[in-house]
Amino acid sequence: MSGGSRRAATIRRGGPWVAAVLIVAADAYLCVRDPQDLDRLLINAMLALSAFATLHARLLSLASAGFAAIGAYASAILAVKLGLPVFLSIPVAVLLCGAVAMVISLPVLRLKDVYLAICTLGFGEIVRVSIILIPGLTGGSTGANLSTGFTYATMKQTRSWALALTLVAICYLFWSASRSRVGRALRAIRENPEAAETMGIDVVAYKNMAFLASALVAGLAGAFYAHSVGSLDNGDFKFSRAVDILGYAVLGGSGAWFGPVLGAGFLTALPILLRDGLGYGLGFLKDFAQFPNILNGLALMLVIIFAPGGIASAFPRAAEQRGVRRRDLVRPSAPAGAAEAPSRSTGGKGKVLLSVKGLGRSFSGLEALSDLSLDIAEGGIYGLIGPNGAGKTTLINLVSGLVPPSSGKIEWLGREIQGRRAHRIARAGIARTYQNIRLFGGMSVLENVVAGRHIRLRTSLAAAWLRLPSQRREEVEAREEAMGLLDRLGLSELADEDAARLSYGDQRRVEIARALALEPRLLMLDEPAAGMNERETSALGDFIVDLKRQGIAMLVVEHHMDLIMEICDEIVVLDFGRKIAQGAPAAVARDEAVLEAYLGRE
Amino acid sequence: MDSLLDVLGLEVRYGNIEAVRGLSFSVKEGSIVAMIGANGAGKSSTLLALSGLVRASGGSILFRGRDIAALRADRIVSAGLVQVPEGRAMLAPMSVAENLELGAWTRRYKSNFRDASGLQGVATDLERVYALFPALAERRSRLAGSLSGGEQQMLAIGRALMARPKLLLLDEPSMGLAPRLVTAIFETIGEIRRSGTTVLLVEQNARLALRVADSGLVLSHGRLFKEGYSAELLADPAIVEAFLGKA
Repeated sequence: MSGGSRRAATIRRGGPWVAAVLIVAADAYLCVRDPQDLDRLLINAMLALSAFATLHARLLSLASAGFAAIGAYASAILAVKLGLPVFLSIPVAVLLCGAVAMVISLPVLRLKDVYLAICTLGFGEIVRVSIILIPGLTGGSTGANLSTGFTYATMKQTRSWALALTLVAICYLFWSASRSRVGRALRAIRENPEAAETMGIDVVAYKNMAFLASALVAGLAGAFYAHSVGSLDNGDFKFSRAVDILGYAVLGGSGAWFGPVLGAGFLTALPILLRDGLGYGLGFLKDFAQFPNILNGLALMLVIIFAPGGIASAFPRAAEQRGVRRRDLVRPSAPAGAAEAPSRSTGGKGKVLLSVKGLGRSFSGLEALSDLSLDIAEGGIYGLIGPNGAGKTTLINLVSGLVPPSSGKIEWLGREIQGRRAHRIARAGIARTYQNIRLFGGMSVLENVVAGRHIRLRTSLAAAWLRLPSQRREEVEAREEAMGLLDRLGLSELADEDAARLSYGDQRRVEIARALALEPRLLMLDEPAAGMNERETSALGDFIVDLKRQGIAMLVVEHHMDLIMEICDEIVVLDFGRKIAQGAPAAVARDEAVLEAYLGRE
Repeated sequence: MDSLLDVLGLEVRYGNIEAVRGLSFSVKEGSIVAMIGANGAGKSSTLLALSGLVRASGGSILFRGRDIAALRADRIVSAGLVQVPEGRAMLAPMSVAENLELGAWTRRYKSNFRDASGLQGVATDLERVYALFPALAERRSRLAGSLSGGEQQMLAIGRALMARPKLLLLDEPSMGLAPRLVTAIFETIGEIRRSGTTVLLVEQNARLALRVADSGLVLSHGRLFKEGYSAELLADPAIVEAFLGKA
């Protein structure tokens, strides 16, 4: 390595630490100078964490300012008008925020991305205008002196301490949750909600949870704010405030909890320091009242351009937090599977697991699949072949619950499952892979596979917060199981790599490992050998046969005919959404209709 | 025959991963060259570096004698090196005809695009693509996203041809295609070469690829493991054992 690049590496490693130290030092200086700034800083950090809670699950919500307003006014009104003790008014106000969040999450969380942002911005405006409309309680548009018992000098100190401890507690809760299966599920949703759902993760419930957490934290910040300023003004919670809060979280980085805290520290300190600094050195610029704001905006732009993932993404440890690491393992991983798995029938078929009856699906008049009936028995390998566009992937989408059928029934172990949400179907024991690979891109290979075990892990949020030994043991075991699967697929060397960086064929193998982590009884593989050469394909074939020995039934869509002919017990052929043949490989290979439609004649 | 492309000591790095480590090879004008190797050998990364979608971290890429390693991807296309990406990258909400017309986009740099002769040229090329892929002609007003996998692959190749490439890069054209279509696609690749376009082909279906190609490059761990005429490689026991499997 040349001197230049070594210097670059040193800057890369040390840079973020220097930045963090500078931010903390600047904030500490401000707080020592003026204790009022300490409160402002802590409250902003809390608001930043509220935005982090939603961003971490890729919900672009701007509702934090609205919830802060509810928290602030509710707490102040309770304390001043109803005479509730301040320390009681705060939790009551926070609970109110939670209730509001639960109500509005029903319609709002159906939206995505920029639509969600616009909608939550609307929510914030409704809250603010409502405050103006009830002047009797809130002081209306002129603001009201709702400040409370915290005004005495001694109480001020108590307030700052309470605020600081609360912030530390919130940081701890976020930190411990993000290291558990809960955080992993949220990251999986962030990377690919559809794949997360088919891994058995209840995407709607997790998104609701993230939104609720965000509302509670914002409400708490608002409540403290109410007791920290002399009087409340609805202008404190206007549109631009909502954008500021998002700015803290984005600048700091939504990948790790400490990012938003640093972001808030930076964006709170900068305008104050700029104003004062300009006051000393460049007095004439003070005439331009908005000048510090311009510099502030410029700083935000620069950070986003040079570190799009925010400050947090520049830390190597922050990057590691994305994934469980191989070195976390205490014991060497034992290959899971073949040995301990109950070895069931290898040739003859067991009982029927999945029974599809008269299944059909049309997309805007085009029949992708019509009147398909098919039984899949325990421990059987079923090949599904046919020309491109014949409806093979549609069948997998229907069975896995991503697409509801237009007609027909899907029975799993004798019970109808059509119309159920995908995560429930996954929980019943049906796993799949995707033709167009859908891995959790920003996560390590190992964490992808551990995310696949989600439904086999029991840890609750409470256990994660308490960091109970049982939870830690479960995490270690899940990693060992996952490493075992990676070993079996020849991927253990790549365990720590970012999944998105793998070659195409390796990504396919990771998908298979992730699906197996769910311990399915039926595994549906959509073109597992695409992008693999003949050697790799034949190794995959051996692996699939090995899975069959464990008693896993499989439905395999594939164009590699050598593979299909070798491993399948039965082959189903589709053409234009209809079944044109079904039977043993040798029979299907001779079938006139199949030769005509698919295989072609030499 | 002169060499159209000379790659010297190419390196591609993604963070800590060294995908391509000092790869050198040449492609002669008018030939078909197949690049084969295991997953993760660096084949796709090499193509991405050639077409400018990934910046090479070292080495040089001489195309028609000019170093294009630092050029922007669209400039590389207009210089005559065009890639058909893995996974086809359709413009799904646009029609087949619109996809093809956009393939001629870089030709707007040529001054004659706006006058009649230039437009005439695009129209003629459209007809040539439709002649090569009659299935696309039938579906010219259909949305690209509604095509089957095989048709999308044809469209991706057709769209690349609209840029009038001197060198066409194909990344796994047979992936996800039904067996009948695989044979058809390889026949088409032969036809493309006969019409004067040089082809560099990455393919997991190594046996078929070497049959249609004049020569082959075997990659392993980001380096050139072996190169030679297709017939030699197909007859080499070590290559058959490691990359081709049983016949």
